Amino acid sequence: MNVIEIKNLTKNYNKSRGIINVNLNVEQGEVFGFIGPNGAGKSTTIRTLLGLIYPTSGSATIFGKNCIEHPQVRSELGYLPSEVFYYDNMRVMDLLKYSASFYKKDCTKRIQELADIMDLDLKKKIDDLSYGNKKKVGIVQGLLHEPKLIILDEPTSGLDPLMQQKFFDLIAQENQKGATVFFSSHILSEVQKMCSRVAFIKEGKIIKLEKMSTLQENSYKKISIEAKSILTTDMFPIHGISKFEVNENTANFIFKGNINSILKKISEIELRNISIEEPDLEEIFMHYYTKED
Amino acid sequence: MNIFLRELKANRKALIIWSVCMILFVLSGMGKYTAYSGGGASSEIFNKLPFTMRVLLGIGSFDVSTMSGFYALLFPYLEVTAAIHAALLGSSILAKEERDKTTEFLITRPISRTTIITSKLLAALVNILIINIVTFVSSIIMVSAYNKGNDITSEIILFLLSMLIVQLIFFSLGSFLSAFMKKPKASGSIATSILIGGFAISKVTDLTEHLNILNILSPFKYFSYVDIVEGKPLSLGIIILSLLLVATFTIFTYYFYCKRDLNI
Repeated sequence: MNVIEIKNLTKNYNKSRGIINVNLNVEQGEVFGFIGPNGAGKSTTIRTLLGLIYPTSGSATIFGKNCIEHPQVRSELGYLPSEVFYYDNMRVMDLLKYSASFYKKDCTKRIQELADIMDLDLKKKIDDLSYGNKKKVGIVQGLLHEPKLIILDEPTSGLDPLMQQKFFDLIAQENQKGATVFFSSHILSEVQKMCSRVAFIKEGKIIKLEKMSTLQENSYKKISIEAKSILTTDMFPIHGISKFEVNENTANFIFKGNINSILKKISEIELRNISIEEPDLEEIFMHYYTKED
Repeated sequence: MNIFLRELKANRKALIIWSVCMILFVLSGMGKYTAYSGGGASSEIFNKLPFTMRVLLGIGSFDVSTMSGFYALLFPYLEVTAAIHAALLGSSILAKEERDKTTEFLITRPISRTTIITSKLLAALVNILIINIVTFVSSIIMVSAYNKGNDITSEIILFLLSMLIVQLIFFSLGSFLSAFMKKPKASGSIATSILIGGFAISKVTDLTEHLNILNILSPFKYFSYVDIVEGKPLSLGIIILSLLLVATFTIFTYYFYCKRDLNI
Protein backbone atom coordinates (compact mmCIF):
# COMPACT_ATOMS: atom_id res chain seq x y z
CA MET A 1 0.00 0.00 0.00
CA ASN A 2 1.20 3.48 -0.81
CA VAL A 3 1.10 5.88 2.11
CA ILE A 4 2.03 8.85 -0.07
CA GLU A 5 0.94 9.13 -3.67
CA ILE A 6 1.92 12.12 -5.74
CA LYS A 7 0.71 12.11 -9.34
CA ASN A 8 1.75 14.62 -12.00
CA LEU A 9 1.87 17.31 -9.35
CA THR A 10 2.57 20.80 -10.64
CA LYS A 11 2.59 24.00 -8.64
CA ASN A 12 3.31 27.43 -10.10
CA TYR A 13 3.70 30.51 -7.99
CA ASN A 14 2.44 33.30 -10.19
CA LYS A 15 5.30 33.53 -12.63
CA SER A 16 8.03 31.74 -10.73
CA ARG A 17 8.59 28.01 -10.87
CA GLY A 18 7.41 25.77 -8.09
CA ILE A 19 7.39 22.11 -9.00
CA ILE A 20 6.74 20.50 -12.37
CA ASN A 21 5.07 17.15 -12.92
CA VAL A 22 6.30 15.42 -9.78
CA ASN A 23 5.48 11.73 -9.44
CA LEU A 24 6.23 9.83 -6.25
CA ASN A 25 4.98 6.87 -4.30
CA VAL A 26 6.05 6.07 -0.77
CA GLU A 27 5.21 2.58 0.42
CA GLN A 28 4.05 1.70 3.88
CA GLY A 29 6.89 1.16 6.32
CA GLU A 30 9.67 2.55 4.19
CA VAL A 31 12.00 5.42 4.85
CA PHE A 32 11.97 7.57 1.76
CA GLY A 33 14.59 10.20 1.13
CA PHE A 34 13.80 13.38 -0.78
CA ILE A 35 16.96 15.10 -1.82
CA GLY A 36 17.57 18.39 -3.52
CA PRO A 37 19.45 21.66 -3.17
CA ASN A 38 17.81 24.68 -1.54
CA GLY A 39 14.97 26.04 -3.62
CA ALA A 40 14.56 22.86 -5.65
CA GLY A 41 10.93 22.41 -4.61
CA LYS A 42 11.16 20.01 -1.68
CA SER A 43 9.15 22.15 0.71
CA THR A 44 6.69 23.09 -2.04
CA THR A 45 6.03 19.40 -2.66
CA ILE A 46 5.49 18.72 1.03
CA ARG A 47 3.28 21.78 1.54
CA THR A 48 1.10 20.82 -1.39
CA LEU A 49 0.89 17.28 -0.07
CA LEU A 50 -0.22 18.52 3.34
CA GLY A 51 -2.79 20.98 2.01
CA LEU A 52 -1.08 24.24 2.95
CA ILE A 53 -1.07 25.30 -0.68
CA TYR A 54 -3.12 24.17 -3.63
CA PRO A 55 -1.70 22.31 -6.63
CA THR A 56 -1.91 23.94 -10.04
CA SER A 57 -2.54 20.49 -11.48
CA GLY A 58 -2.13 16.87 -10.49
CA SER A 59 -2.89 15.30 -7.15
CA ALA A 60 -1.21 14.43 -3.87
CA THR A 61 -2.64 12.14 -1.22
CA ILE A 62 -1.66 10.59 2.09
CA PHE A 63 -3.27 7.30 3.12
CA GLY A 64 -5.14 7.51 -0.16
CA LYS A 65 -6.90 10.75 0.72
CA ASN A 66 -6.47 14.39 -0.17
CA CYS A 67 -5.57 16.51 2.86
CA ILE A 68 -7.84 19.39 1.95
CA GLU A 69 -10.97 17.36 1.35
CA HIS A 70 -10.28 15.00 4.25
CA PRO A 71 -8.44 16.95 6.96
CA GLN A 72 -8.99 14.08 9.39
CA VAL A 73 -6.45 12.04 7.47
CA ARG A 74 -3.78 14.22 9.09
CA SER A 75 -4.50 12.67 12.49
CA GLU A 76 -1.91 10.00 11.64
CA LEU A 77 0.58 12.55 10.38
CA GLY A 78 3.58 13.91 12.21
CA TYR A 79 5.24 16.83 10.49
CA LEU A 80 8.44 18.63 11.30
CA PRO A 81 8.78 21.80 9.22
CA SER A 82 12.15 23.02 8.03
CA GLU A 83 11.86 26.23 10.01
CA VAL A 84 10.16 25.94 13.34
CA PHE A 85 8.03 28.81 14.57
CA TYR A 86 5.71 28.57 17.51
CA TYR A 87 3.58 30.84 19.63
CA ASP A 88 6.30 32.81 21.37
CA ASN A 89 4.55 33.57 24.60
CA MET A 90 3.70 29.94 25.31
CA ARG A 91 5.70 27.58 27.44
CA VAL A 92 7.05 24.46 25.79
CA MET A 93 4.71 22.25 27.80
CA ASP A 94 1.68 24.37 26.94
CA LEU A 95 2.53 24.24 23.25
CA LEU A 96 2.97 20.47 23.32
CA LYS A 97 -0.30 20.05 25.21
CA TYR A 98 -2.01 22.31 22.70
CA SER A 99 -0.55 20.22 19.91
CA ALA A 100 -1.66 17.00 21.64
CA SER A 101 -5.18 18.35 22.11
CA PHE A 102 -5.80 17.89 18.39
CA TYR A 103 -5.44 14.12 18.66
CA LYS A 104 -7.84 11.81 20.34
CA LYS A 105 -5.35 10.17 22.66
CA ASP A 106 -3.45 10.89 25.85
CA CYS A 107 0.05 11.95 24.88
CA THR A 108 1.35 13.15 28.26
CA LYS A 109 3.58 10.13 28.82
CA ARG A 110 5.00 10.22 25.32
CA ILE A 111 5.75 13.96 25.62
CA GLN A 112 7.76 13.29 28.77
CA GLU A 113 9.63 10.39 27.16
CA LEU A 114 10.50 12.38 24.06
CA ALA A 115 11.54 15.42 26.07
CA ASP A 116 13.86 13.24 28.14
CA ILE A 117 15.43 11.72 25.04
CA MET A 118 15.88 15.06 23.34
CA ASP A 119 16.99 16.75 26.57
CA LEU A 120 14.32 19.44 26.31
CA ASP A 121 13.26 21.70 29.18
CA LEU A 122 9.46 21.73 29.17
CA LYS A 123 9.13 24.67 31.53
CA LYS A 124 10.89 27.24 29.37
CA LYS A 125 9.15 29.82 27.26
CA ILE A 126 9.37 29.23 23.51
CA ASP A 127 10.63 32.79 23.22
CA ASP A 128 13.74 32.02 25.27
CA LEU A 129 14.78 28.94 23.31
CA SER A 130 17.71 28.80 20.93
CA TYR A 131 17.11 27.68 17.35
CA GLY A 132 18.35 24.16 18.11
CA ASN A 133 16.03 23.89 21.10
CA LYS A 134 13.08 25.12 19.06
CA LYS A 135 13.91 22.38 16.61
CA LYS A 136 13.71 19.88 19.46
CA VAL A 137 10.26 21.21 20.34
CA GLY A 138 9.39 20.60 16.70
CA ILE A 139 10.61 17.01 16.90
CA VAL A 140 8.67 16.26 20.08
CA GLN A 141 5.61 18.00 18.64
CA GLY A 142 5.84 15.92 15.47
CA LEU A 143 6.15 12.58 17.25
CA LEU A 144 4.06 12.93 20.41
CA HIS A 145 0.95 11.32 18.97
CA GLU A 146 2.89 8.36 17.54
CA PRO A 147 1.90 9.06 13.96
CA LYS A 148 1.91 6.43 11.21
CA LEU A 149 3.42 8.85 8.72
CA ILE A 150 6.31 11.10 9.66
CA ILE A 151 7.26 13.88 7.29
CA LEU A 152 10.54 15.59 8.03
CA ASP A 153 11.65 18.70 6.18
CA GLU A 154 15.37 19.25 6.78
CA PRO A 155 15.10 17.97 10.32
CA THR A 156 18.71 18.13 11.40
CA SER A 157 19.53 21.77 10.73
CA GLY A 158 20.34 23.48 14.02
CA LEU A 159 20.91 20.25 15.94
CA ASP A 160 24.35 19.37 17.24
CA PRO A 161 25.83 16.00 16.12
CA LEU A 162 24.91 14.28 19.37
CA MET A 163 21.29 15.37 19.06
CA GLN A 164 21.26 14.45 15.39
CA GLN A 165 22.26 10.93 16.38
CA LYS A 166 19.55 10.74 19.05
CA PHE A 167 17.09 12.04 16.53
CA PHE A 168 18.03 9.42 13.94
CA ASP A 169 17.74 6.69 16.55
CA LEU A 170 14.30 7.99 17.45
CA ILE A 171 13.16 7.98 13.84
CA ALA A 172 14.60 4.48 13.33
CA GLN A 173 12.61 3.27 16.36
CA GLU A 174 9.40 4.82 15.05
CA ASN A 175 10.08 3.19 11.70
CA GLN A 176 10.54 -0.20 13.35
CA LYS A 177 7.21 0.28 15.10
CA GLY A 178 5.70 0.61 11.64
CA ALA A 179 5.78 4.31 10.84
CA THR A 180 6.46 5.40 7.29
CA VAL A 181 9.03 8.17 7.04
CA PHE A 182 9.38 10.81 4.35
CA PHE A 183 12.70 12.52 4.83
CA SER A 184 13.56 15.67 2.91
CA SER A 185 17.09 17.00 3.06
CA HIS A 186 19.84 18.65 1.11
CA ILE A 187 22.50 16.48 2.72
CA LEU A 188 22.85 13.17 0.91
CA SER A 189 24.91 11.43 3.58
CA GLU A 190 22.28 11.81 6.31
CA VAL A 191 19.63 10.42 4.04
CA GLN A 192 21.93 7.59 2.99
CA LYS A 193 22.11 6.33 6.55
CA MET A 194 18.49 5.37 6.85
CA CYS A 195 16.54 5.57 3.63
CA SER A 196 15.49 2.65 1.50
CA ARG A 197 14.76 4.76 -1.57
CA VAL A 198 15.71 8.24 -2.62
CA ALA A 199 14.26 10.75 -5.06
CA PHE A 200 16.38 13.59 -6.37
CA ILE A 201 14.68 16.86 -7.18
CA LYS A 202 16.25 19.78 -8.98
CA GLU A 203 14.65 22.95 -10.31
CA GLY A 204 11.22 21.57 -9.57
CA LYS A 205 11.64 18.27 -11.38
CA ILE A 206 12.37 14.80 -10.11
CA ILE A 207 15.55 13.89 -11.92
CA LYS A 208 16.13 10.46 -10.45
CA LEU A 209 14.50 7.93 -8.20
CA GLU A 210 16.84 5.27 -6.93
CA LYS A 211 16.99 2.45 -4.44
CA MET A 212 19.45 3.19 -1.70
CA SER A 213 21.16 -0.15 -2.27
CA THR A 214 22.06 0.94 -5.81
CA LEU A 215 23.27 4.27 -4.53
CA GLN A 216 25.43 2.63 -1.92
CA GLU A 217 27.04 0.33 -4.45
CA ASN A 218 27.77 3.40 -6.41
CA SER A 219 28.83 5.65 -3.64
CA TYR A 220 30.08 8.96 -4.87
CA LYS A 221 33.48 10.16 -3.78
CA LYS A 222 35.22 13.36 -4.54
CA ILE A 223 38.87 12.50 -4.90
CA SER A 224 41.81 14.86 -5.08
CA ILE A 225 45.32 13.53 -5.58
CA GLU A 226 48.70 15.13 -5.77
CA ALA A 227 51.34 12.96 -7.36
CA LYS A 228 55.09 13.17 -7.57
CA SER A 229 55.01 12.92 -11.35
CA ILE A 230 53.02 14.76 -13.99
CA LEU A 231 49.48 13.35 -14.37
CA THR A 232 47.59 12.82 -17.62
CA THR A 233 43.89 12.81 -18.40
CA ASP A 234 43.76 9.18 -19.49
CA MET A 235 45.45 7.69 -16.47
CA PHE A 236 42.32 6.07 -14.98
CA PRO A 237 40.77 3.97 -17.73
CA ILE A 238 37.87 2.81 -15.57
CA HIS A 239 34.16 3.49 -15.65
CA GLY A 240 32.54 5.95 -13.26
CA ILE A 241 34.85 8.92 -13.40
CA SER A 242 33.46 12.34 -14.06
CA LYS A 243 34.50 15.97 -13.87
CA PHE A 244 38.10 14.95 -14.28
CA GLU A 245 40.36 17.95 -14.00
CA VAL A 246 44.12 17.73 -14.27
CA ASN A 247 46.69 20.39 -13.55
CA GLU A 248 50.27 19.13 -13.89
CA ASN A 249 50.69 16.80 -10.92
CA THR A 250 47.31 17.32 -9.26
CA ALA A 251 43.98 15.84 -10.29
CA ASN A 252 40.39 16.24 -9.05
CA PHE A 253 37.45 14.08 -10.02
CA ILE A 254 34.23 12.48 -8.87
CA PHE A 255 34.14 8.72 -8.76
CA LYS A 256 30.99 6.64 -8.76
CA GLY A 257 31.37 2.89 -8.37
CA ASN A 258 33.17 0.30 -6.33
CA ILE A 259 35.65 2.15 -4.18
CA ASN A 260 38.18 -0.71 -4.33
CA SER A 261 38.68 -0.50 -8.05
CA ILE A 262 39.65 3.16 -7.97
CA LEU A 263 41.91 2.67 -4.94
CA LYS A 264 43.83 -0.05 -6.76
CA LYS A 265 44.41 2.31 -9.63
CA ILE A 266 45.47 5.15 -7.38
CA SER A 267 47.85 2.94 -5.46
CA GLU A 268 49.83 2.42 -8.66
CA ILE A 269 50.81 6.08 -8.56
CA GLU A 270 53.43 7.55 -6.30
CA LEU A 271 51.43 10.08 -4.27
CA ARG A 272 52.30 13.13 -2.27
CA ASN A 273 48.80 13.69 -0.94
CA ILE A 274 45.29 12.38 -1.29
CA SER A 275 41.88 13.43 -0.03
CA ILE A 276 38.67 11.50 -0.45
CA GLU A 277 35.52 13.41 0.44
CA GLU A 278 31.79 13.14 0.17
CA PRO A 279 30.91 15.23 -2.84
CA ASP A 280 28.33 17.86 -2.17
CA LEU A 281 24.96 17.44 -3.71
CA GLU A 282 25.52 19.94 -6.49
CA GLU A 283 28.35 17.83 -7.78
CA ILE A 284 26.27 14.68 -7.83
CA PHE A 285 23.53 16.54 -9.62
CA MET A 286 26.04 17.78 -12.13
CA HIS A 287 26.98 14.18 -12.60
CA TYR A 288 23.39 13.27 -13.38
CA TYR A 289 23.07 16.12 -15.78
CA THR A 290 26.20 15.24 -17.72
CA LYS A 291 24.97 11.65 -17.90
CA GLU A 292 21.64 12.75 -19.30
CA ASP A 293 23.15 14.89 -22.05
CA MET B 1 -12.81 23.79 20.97
CA ASN B 2 -9.09 23.79 21.75
CA ILE B 3 -8.44 26.56 19.23
CA PHE B 4 -11.31 28.57 20.71
CA LEU B 5 -9.90 28.30 24.23
CA ARG B 6 -6.38 28.97 23.00
CA GLU B 7 -7.53 32.15 21.24
CA LEU B 8 -9.39 33.35 24.32
CA LYS B 9 -6.24 32.89 26.33
CA ALA B 10 -3.99 34.49 23.72
CA ASN B 11 -6.22 37.57 23.53
CA ARG B 12 -6.79 37.86 27.26
CA LYS B 13 -4.14 40.46 27.94
CA ALA B 14 -5.15 42.67 25.01
CA LEU B 15 -8.78 42.38 26.04
CA ILE B 16 -8.00 43.55 29.56
CA ILE B 17 -6.07 46.55 28.23
CA TRP B 18 -8.84 47.53 25.80
CA SER B 19 -11.47 47.09 28.54
CA VAL B 20 -9.53 49.32 30.90
CA CYS B 21 -9.23 51.91 28.12
CA MET B 22 -12.98 51.85 27.55
CA ILE B 23 -13.67 52.25 31.26
CA LEU B 24 -11.22 55.17 31.54
CA PHE B 25 -12.75 56.71 28.43
CA VAL B 26 -16.23 56.61 29.91
CA LEU B 27 -14.90 57.78 33.27
CA SER B 28 -12.99 60.78 31.91
CA GLY B 29 -15.75 61.64 29.42
CA MET B 30 -18.49 61.67 32.01
CA GLY B 31 -16.29 63.69 34.35
CA LYS B 32 -16.69 66.62 31.97
CA TYR B 33 -20.48 66.51 32.16
CA THR B 34 -20.58 68.91 35.10
CA ALA B 35 -18.95 71.59 32.93
CA TYR B 36 -21.58 71.14 30.21
CA SER B 37 -24.58 70.80 32.47
CA GLY B 38 -23.62 73.56 34.88
CA GLY B 39 -26.21 75.80 33.29
CA GLY B 40 -25.93 79.54 33.08
CA ALA B 41 -23.02 80.95 31.08
CA SER B 42 -21.59 77.71 29.72
CA SER B 43 -24.83 76.43 28.13
CA GLU B 44 -25.33 79.89 26.68
CA ILE B 45 -21.94 79.60 24.97
CA PHE B 46 -22.79 76.23 23.44
CA ASN B 47 -26.12 77.47 22.20
CA LYS B 48 -24.60 80.54 20.59
CA LEU B 49 -21.87 78.62 18.74
CA PRO B 50 -22.31 78.54 14.96
CA PHE B 51 -23.62 75.17 13.70
CA THR B 52 -20.35 74.26 11.92
CA MET B 53 -18.47 74.78 15.13
CA ARG B 54 -20.96 72.67 17.05
CA VAL B 55 -20.59 69.87 14.51
CA LEU B 56 -16.82 69.98 14.73
CA LEU B 57 -17.04 69.76 18.51
CA GLY B 58 -19.36 66.78 18.05
CA ILE B 59 -22.31 68.57 19.61
CA GLY B 60 -24.38 68.99 16.46
CA SER B 61 -27.99 69.53 17.36
CA PHE B 62 -27.87 67.82 20.73
CA ASP B 63 -28.70 69.60 23.91
CA VAL B 64 -25.54 68.73 25.77
CA SER B 65 -26.79 70.05 29.05
CA THR B 66 -29.10 67.02 29.28
CA MET B 67 -27.59 63.64 30.04
CA SER B 68 -28.85 61.94 26.88
CA GLY B 69 -27.52 64.78 24.72
CA PHE B 70 -24.18 64.67 26.46
CA TYR B 71 -23.96 60.90 26.10
CA ALA B 72 -24.67 61.28 22.37
CA LEU B 73 -21.71 63.69 22.21
CA LEU B 74 -19.45 61.23 24.02
CA PHE B 75 -20.70 58.07 22.32
CA PRO B 76 -19.08 58.39 18.84
CA TYR B 77 -15.64 58.34 20.44
CA LEU B 78 -16.49 55.20 22.41
CA GLU B 79 -17.85 53.69 19.24
CA VAL B 80 -14.76 54.51 17.17
CA THR B 81 -12.52 53.00 19.84
CA ALA B 82 -14.56 49.82 20.01
CA ALA B 83 -14.68 49.68 16.21
CA ILE B 84 -10.88 49.99 15.97
CA HIS B 85 -10.56 47.14 18.45
CA ALA B 86 -12.97 45.04 16.38
CA ALA B 87 -11.23 45.81 13.07
CA LEU B 88 -7.79 44.98 14.45
CA LEU B 89 -9.04 41.84 16.12
CA GLY B 90 -10.85 40.68 12.99
CA SER B 91 -7.84 41.20 10.78
CA SER B 92 -5.32 39.71 13.18
CA ILE B 93 -7.17 36.66 14.45
CA LEU B 94 -6.56 34.79 11.19
CA ALA B 95 -3.58 36.74 9.86
CA LYS B 96 -1.44 36.36 12.96
CA GLU B 97 -0.80 32.71 12.17
CA GLU B 98 0.79 33.80 8.93
CA ARG B 99 2.53 36.77 10.54
CA ASP B 100 4.04 34.60 13.29
CA LYS B 101 4.67 31.77 10.81
CA THR B 102 2.67 29.33 12.86
CA THR B 103 0.49 28.39 9.89
CA GLU B 104 2.40 25.20 9.25
CA PHE B 105 1.82 24.11 12.82
CA LEU B 106 -1.89 24.82 12.78
CA ILE B 107 -2.84 23.69 9.29
CA THR B 108 -1.14 20.30 9.56
CA ARG B 109 -3.40 19.35 12.47
CA PRO B 110 -6.28 17.03 11.59
CA ILE B 111 -8.81 19.85 11.30
CA SER B 112 -10.28 21.67 8.34
CA ARG B 113 -9.67 25.33 7.60
CA THR B 114 -13.38 25.89 8.17
CA THR B 115 -13.07 24.61 11.74
CA ILE B 116 -10.09 26.89 12.32
CA ILE B 117 -11.98 29.95 11.05
CA THR B 118 -15.10 29.13 13.05
CA SER B 119 -13.19 28.63 16.31
CA LYS B 120 -11.19 31.81 15.83
CA LEU B 121 -14.14 33.97 14.84
CA LEU B 122 -16.15 32.72 17.82
CA ALA B 123 -13.29 33.49 20.20
CA ALA B 124 -13.00 36.98 18.71
CA LEU B 125 -16.76 37.44 18.97
CA VAL B 126 -16.55 36.76 22.71
CA ASN B 127 -13.89 39.51 22.94
CA ILE B 128 -16.10 41.93 21.06
CA LEU B 129 -19.10 41.18 23.26
CA ILE B 130 -16.99 41.69 26.36
CA ILE B 131 -15.81 45.11 25.13
CA ASN B 132 -19.42 46.02 24.46
CA ILE B 133 -20.61 44.82 27.87
CA VAL B 134 -17.74 46.58 29.66
CA THR B 135 -18.64 49.83 27.88
CA PHE B 136 -22.30 49.32 28.70
CA VAL B 137 -21.78 48.59 32.38
CA SER B 138 -19.30 51.45 32.90
CA SER B 139 -21.64 53.83 31.05
CA ILE B 140 -24.58 52.85 33.23
CA ILE B 141 -22.54 53.28 36.41
CA MET B 142 -20.96 56.59 35.43
CA VAL B 143 -24.16 58.07 34.04
CA SER B 144 -26.08 57.24 37.19
CA ALA B 145 -23.31 58.85 39.21
CA TYR B 146 -23.66 62.18 37.39
CA ASN B 147 -27.24 62.15 36.16
CA LYS B 148 -29.64 64.45 37.92
CA GLY B 149 -32.33 64.37 35.25
CA ASN B 150 -34.26 61.59 33.48
CA ASP B 151 -33.05 58.00 33.55
CA ILE B 152 -31.40 57.21 30.19
CA THR B 153 -30.74 53.46 30.58
CA SER B 154 -32.95 52.60 27.60
CA GLU B 155 -31.09 55.12 25.42
CA ILE B 156 -27.75 53.64 26.51
CA ILE B 157 -28.98 50.16 25.59
CA LEU B 158 -29.86 51.41 22.11
CA PHE B 159 -26.53 53.22 21.75
CA LEU B 160 -24.60 50.12 22.75
CA LEU B 161 -26.71 47.89 20.52
CA SER B 162 -25.86 50.14 17.57
CA MET B 163 -22.23 50.01 18.68
CA LEU B 164 -22.32 46.20 18.66
CA ILE B 165 -23.52 46.22 15.07
CA VAL B 166 -20.79 48.68 14.06
CA GLN B 167 -18.27 46.48 15.89
CA LEU B 168 -19.49 43.44 13.98
CA ILE B 169 -19.26 45.28 10.65
CA PHE B 170 -15.64 46.27 11.19
CA PHE B 171 -14.76 42.93 12.71
CA SER B 172 -16.08 41.05 9.69
CA LEU B 173 -14.45 43.58 7.36
CA GLY B 174 -11.09 42.95 9.06
CA SER B 175 -11.39 39.19 8.86
CA PHE B 176 -12.52 39.38 5.24
CA LEU B 177 -9.50 41.54 4.32
CA SER B 178 -7.08 39.19 6.07
CA ALA B 179 -8.56 36.21 4.23
CA PHE B 180 -8.72 37.98 0.89
CA MET B 181 -5.44 39.89 0.73
CA LYS B 182 -2.22 38.41 -0.59
CA LYS B 183 -0.38 40.12 2.25
CA PRO B 184 -2.65 39.46 5.22
CA LYS B 185 -0.23 41.29 7.52
CA ALA B 186 -1.34 44.57 5.95
CA SER B 187 -5.04 43.86 6.50
CA GLY B 188 -5.05 45.54 9.93
CA SER B 189 -3.83 48.87 8.62
CA ILE B 190 -6.19 48.73 5.62
CA ALA B 191 -9.16 47.96 7.86
CA THR B 192 -8.35 50.80 10.25
CA SER B 193 -7.80 53.18 7.32
CA ILE B 194 -11.26 52.34 6.02
CA LEU B 195 -12.58 52.89 9.54
CA ILE B 196 -10.93 56.31 9.92
CA GLY B 197 -12.19 57.21 6.44
CA GLY B 198 -15.70 56.20 7.48
CA PHE B 199 -15.43 58.32 10.60
CA ALA B 200 -14.23 61.32 8.58
CA ILE B 201 -17.17 60.89 6.20
CA SER B 202 -19.56 60.83 9.15
CA LYS B 203 -18.17 64.21 10.25
CA VAL B 204 -18.45 65.68 6.76
CA THR B 205 -22.06 64.58 6.36
CA ASP B 206 -22.84 66.09 9.74
CA LEU B 207 -21.81 69.44 8.27
CA THR B 208 -23.91 69.38 5.14
CA GLU B 209 -26.95 67.42 4.12
CA HIS B 210 -26.05 67.52 0.41
CA LEU B 211 -23.61 64.68 0.86
CA ASN B 212 -25.88 62.37 2.82
CA ILE B 213 -25.51 59.74 0.10
CA LEU B 214 -21.93 59.22 1.39
CA ASN B 215 -23.33 57.90 4.65
CA ILE B 216 -23.62 54.50 3.04
CA LEU B 217 -19.81 54.34 3.27
CA SER B 218 -19.79 55.16 6.96
CA PRO B 219 -21.22 52.58 9.36
CA PHE B 220 -21.02 55.29 12.02
CA LYS B 221 -23.96 56.94 10.32
CA TYR B 222 -26.08 53.80 9.89
CA PHE B 223 -27.96 54.59 13.06
CA SER B 224 -29.14 58.07 13.91
CA TYR B 225 -28.05 59.28 17.32
CA VAL B 226 -30.64 62.03 17.15
CA ASP B 227 -33.37 59.38 16.91
CA ILE B 228 -31.92 57.49 19.85
CA VAL B 229 -31.82 60.63 21.97
CA GLU B 230 -35.42 61.32 21.00
CA GLY B 231 -36.32 57.84 22.23
CA LYS B 232 -37.02 56.27 18.84
CA PRO B 233 -36.02 52.60 18.37
CA LEU B 234 -33.25 51.52 15.99
CA SER B 235 -34.41 51.05 12.42
CA LEU B 236 -35.09 47.36 11.89
CA GLY B 237 -34.38 47.66 8.17
CA ILE B 238 -30.92 49.09 8.83
CA ILE B 239 -30.22 46.40 11.41
CA ILE B 240 -31.10 43.70 8.87
CA LEU B 241 -29.03 45.34 6.12
CA SER B 242 -26.07 45.72 8.49
CA LEU B 243 -26.26 42.10 9.58
CA LEU B 244 -26.47 41.07 5.93
CA LEU B 245 -23.27 43.02 5.33
CA VAL B 246 -21.65 41.23 8.27
CA ALA B 247 -22.84 37.88 6.91
CA THR B 248 -21.47 38.68 3.45
CA PHE B 249 -18.05 39.61 4.81
CA THR B 250 -18.03 36.47 6.95
CA ILE B 251 -18.97 34.20 4.06
CA PHE B 252 -16.21 35.79 1.99
CA THR B 253 -13.80 35.20 4.89
CA TYR B 254 -14.54 31.49 4.78
CA TYR B 255 -14.51 31.38 1.01
CA PHE B 256 -11.18 33.13 0.46
CA TYR B 257 -9.35 31.66 3.44
CA CYS B 258 -10.30 28.12 2.39
CA LYS B 259 -9.38 28.75 -1.21
CA ARG B 260 -6.06 30.48 -1.08
CA ASP B 261 -2.47 29.36 -0.63
CA LEU B 262 -1.32 30.22 2.84
CA ASN B 263 1.87 32.22 3.26
CA ILE B 264 4.48 30.23 5.06
